[in-house]
Amino acid sequence: MDVFKADVAIIGAGGAGLRAAIAVTESDPTLTVALISKVYPMRSHTVAAEGGAAGVVQSHDSLEHHFHDTVAGGDWLCEQDVVDYFVAHCTEELVQMEHWGCPWSRKPDGHINVRAFGGMKIERTWFAADKSGFHMLHTLFQTSLKYPSIKRFDEHFCVDLVVEDGRVQGAVTIGIASGEFTLIEAKSVIVATGGAARVFRENTNGGIVTGDGMALAYRHGVPLRDMEFVQYHPTCMPGTGLLFTEACRGEGGFLLNKDGYRYLQDYGLGPALPTPVNKAMELGPRDRLSQAFWYEQQKGRTIEGPQGSVVHLDLRHLGEKKLRERLPLIYELAEEFLGVDPALTPIPVRPAAHYTMGGILVDGKCAAPLPGLYAAGECSSVGIHGANRLGSNSLVELCVFGKVAGEEAAKFSRTVAPGNSSTLQQQAELAQQRATNVVRKGKGTERISSLRREMAESMERGCGIYRMGDEMQRTCDKLTELRQRFMNVNVEDKSRVFNTEWLLAIELGYQLDVAQAMAVSALHRRESRGAHQRLDGYTERDDVNFLKHSLVTYAGENTPNISYGAVKITHSQPAVRAYGAAGEKADAAEAAGKIA
Amino acid sequence: MNTSERMITMEVLRYRPEQDETPFFQQFLVPFTDDMSVLQGLQYIKDELEGSLSFRWSCRMAICGSCGMMINGVPKLACHTFLRDTYPNTLRVEALAHFPIERDLVIVMDDFMAKLESIRPYIIADTPRALSEGEYLQTPAQLDLYEQFSSCINCLLCYAACPQYGLNSKFIGPGAMALVHRYNLDSRDSGSAQRMPLVHAEEGVFNCTAVGYCSQVCPKKVDPANAVNINKTESAKDYFLRFVTPKGAGK
Amino acid sequence: MSARRPYVRPMTGWWRKNPFFIEYMVHEGTAFFVAAYALILLASVVVLGQGEAAWNRWLEFLMSPLCIIAHVVILLAFLYHSWTWFNIMPRTLPPILINGTRVKAATITYGGLAAAVIASLIVFAIVARLAP
Repeated sequence: MDVFKADVAIIGAGGAGLRAAIAVTESDPTLTVALISKVYPMRSHTVAAEGGAAGVVQSHDSLEHHFHDTVAGGDWLCEQDVVDYFVAHCTEELVQMEHWGCPWSRKPDGHINVRAFGGMKIERTWFAADKSGFHMLHTLFQTSLKYPSIKRFDEHFCVDLVVEDGRVQGAVTIGIASGEFTLIEAKSVIVATGGAARVFRENTNGGIVTGDGMALAYRHGVPLRDMEFVQYHPTCMPGTGLLFTEACRGEGGFLLNKDGYRYLQDYGLGPALPTPVNKAMELGPRDRLSQAFWYEQQKGRTIEGPQGSVVHLDLRHLGEKKLRERLPLIYELAEEFLGVDPALTPIPVRPAAHYTMGGILVDGKCAAPLPGLYAAGECSSVGIHGANRLGSNSLVELCVFGKVAGEEAAKFSRTVAPGNSSTLQQQAELAQQRATNVVRKGKGTERISSLRREMAESMERGCGIYRMGDEMQRTCDKLTELRQRFMNVNVEDKSRVFNTEWLLAIELGYQLDVAQAMAVSALHRRESRGAHQRLDGYTERDDVNFLKHSLVTYAGENTPNISYGAVKITHSQPAVRAYGAAGEKADAAEAAGKIA
Repeated sequence: MNTSERMITMEVLRYRPEQDETPFFQQFLVPFTDDMSVLQGLQYIKDELEGSLSFRWSCRMAICGSCGMMINGVPKLACHTFLRDTYPNTLRVEALAHFPIERDLVIVMDDFMAKLESIRPYIIADTPRALSEGEYLQTPAQLDLYEQFSSCINCLLCYAACPQYGLNSKFIGPGAMALVHRYNLDSRDSGSAQRMPLVHAEEGVFNCTAVGYCSQVCPKKVDPANAVNINKTESAKDYFLRFVTPKGAGK
Repeated sequence: MSARRPYVRPMTGWWRKNPFFIEYMVHEGTAFFVAAYALILLASVVVLGQGEAAWNRWLEFLMSPLCIIAHVVILLAFLYHSWTWFNIMPRTLPPILINGTRVKAATITYGGLAAAVIASLIVFAIVARLAP
């Protein structure tokens, strides 16, 4: 087996992985970084983010506002000290992106422009038209080419972490083109592999978003935190789940039911004014909007389409010129995928699984409980999203915590001696055997696609926008069954060169583990909070019993174990999450209280 | 939109290096609805008919740049091309032209990656700006100058459309040139002197014979032919100015 | 040993494989007609230098049916050449701004064609005036 010796290995080269790689090399250019990615970096799913990234810039805005929006948006399940650090570093990181060439949209005077976003009190979303993630990813990737100490392993698929002596010491990868294995020895490892919403049937995610890093860490005993919180994005394309950015609503788009009525006013988000009001109506948080859709569907007020019920995203009043300028990608998606001209016809939309708020348990320094292991971005749970993420917090999270992870992993790598190469290689050989076994073992009988479909359908039924105990139990049982059947999965393709069937099988293994972590965490949270909403007697938030993080720990073939950890609350006590007019009233009352 | 299911024949170029001497076509009968893309057709084949068929894909929304293929002989993104447009004819899918085939519909793209690395695709500032100084000021008009060229998703359709690249892969090609131009035009950048040698070089812009097909197939309206041809003028200007500029007047 | 064995497809006959390339070869081919007409003009100048008799013979040759057919063919090729030339022109120019908005590609193409037509008309007018 080939061996590469690095100081820091990074798994995943999307926004967080690239930012981390740059941070390592900028903090110490003598350190060698192995940047491992199962796709070429510019294909990473950061590319598909549309709306923008939050950073306080306006004089009437403040870090406190951003903090409060984030914590309340997360239904008080956020680590408040981490949110404090986060909001304080967002703007600086976005300026850094600007210096590296990100083509942020501008005001006439040449300064950065910002737009409104759901759940944000004041406009603070930096954007590059509606291709913000694309531009951030390409800026980071192209900037990373400046640094000779970043050694890329493009199209290298990670099959395992190497843990020896109680700490992470590397990763084992398959070079996809050759089918050959490489051991990447490293003194510290950063996982930055993104989310896992592909475990749901209808989702906004790219095919590569299969929770690899979460599963890798989880299998080595690192708990996954708050996995029950999966965000449904309210405005997605029926069938494919492709995303119509929240910026559509930030720019003034309406959501209409079958009567052409702005139904959100019936769900505590009103009043319905003709121009966008921050934190009201269409600019409410995503969990609330997706839930409102569900109720409209129950009431029979949605529109029946060939791909399920839909409501209308109405952008007509914005006019073609503004749409072409501010939302060009949306315009193109609507025209080409749906045959709809959004300047003339409302776009049919429905919610789809979008984002995993939870992930690998890490502290505010991005360090996991396993020494040497760090995580950043969607795969991690650093504690800023709580029970529901606000749009435009995740793109900037990639930068803020990508950098932290890079610097901390660099620091750690200087404190430890290189591992014992021969033991590491023995471990790597075992990992190779396990990965090869998926193909080499006798003929299996289970089809990859059937297992995947059954998993996704079961997740949607049990862990969708609204959840019921018995349905979640059925999903848990189903996942247990699927994990069992997965042992007997059939990989027809025995070749080595670019064997994607083999990789799909390994990915499915990751997905089943992560899906099970989600379902079991969901089943045990007997309350409703943020994106986790139950209809079976636990319809309210229960701060007495559940103002705590869930931690799910891998237990091999058995059902994983659930435990709970404290939530760090510094200065925002849990309160009612109010939006629209009610939200303004609550804010006013709070302000009055402070004066008195 | 017709939502009933019909059957289309997809003819896919296969090449399995461990088994096949040369590529061959394999036909599949695929059920489809009007909203189904070629990519979804391929996914159906992989899931239900032929698990060993290999192709790259991810985002499904024409932004990650993974699924470039020759579809009925034209370079296209598979996620962005619909089966309904070919039906009832047979739809033919091949790996992107002008690149070596790694396997099936997967091409070897090392050459493009090396070119991308060679062009210094990042801001080169004369004097680095401190974060505390805030953002560079850049007016919407200055942004507009280069924005189109920054929209390149590296899908390589333009390379598959460029016969000059097919005949001589040393040619820097449309996509990489668009990015050279993107950075040279950026008001924050002062690195064009470092990039121009690539433009002048034997492998540079003068390999282009203005076929213009690259811009035609570009899914993001980047117009790489424009970047290449403007740089012919720039390169010629640089060449002739050498004779009239006093020695040492440059940098 | 690596099992990789990338397959390189041959480029032979590349220009026949795509209608766009066939059109490209055709419009590049029209350049030969442009060259041919340049040779005719050059020959005219040479003949003019050889005296009146030679010139009259040359005129007679030019008025032969074969020669007129050749000229019609060259004219058609010229028209097509100009069309394709102006068609690609927007792709070769930096953005032209008028009042801060970009001039559209079609405007540049049709503007160029219009300029060519006007220039031709002027030449015709001069020739018509000079003609005996």
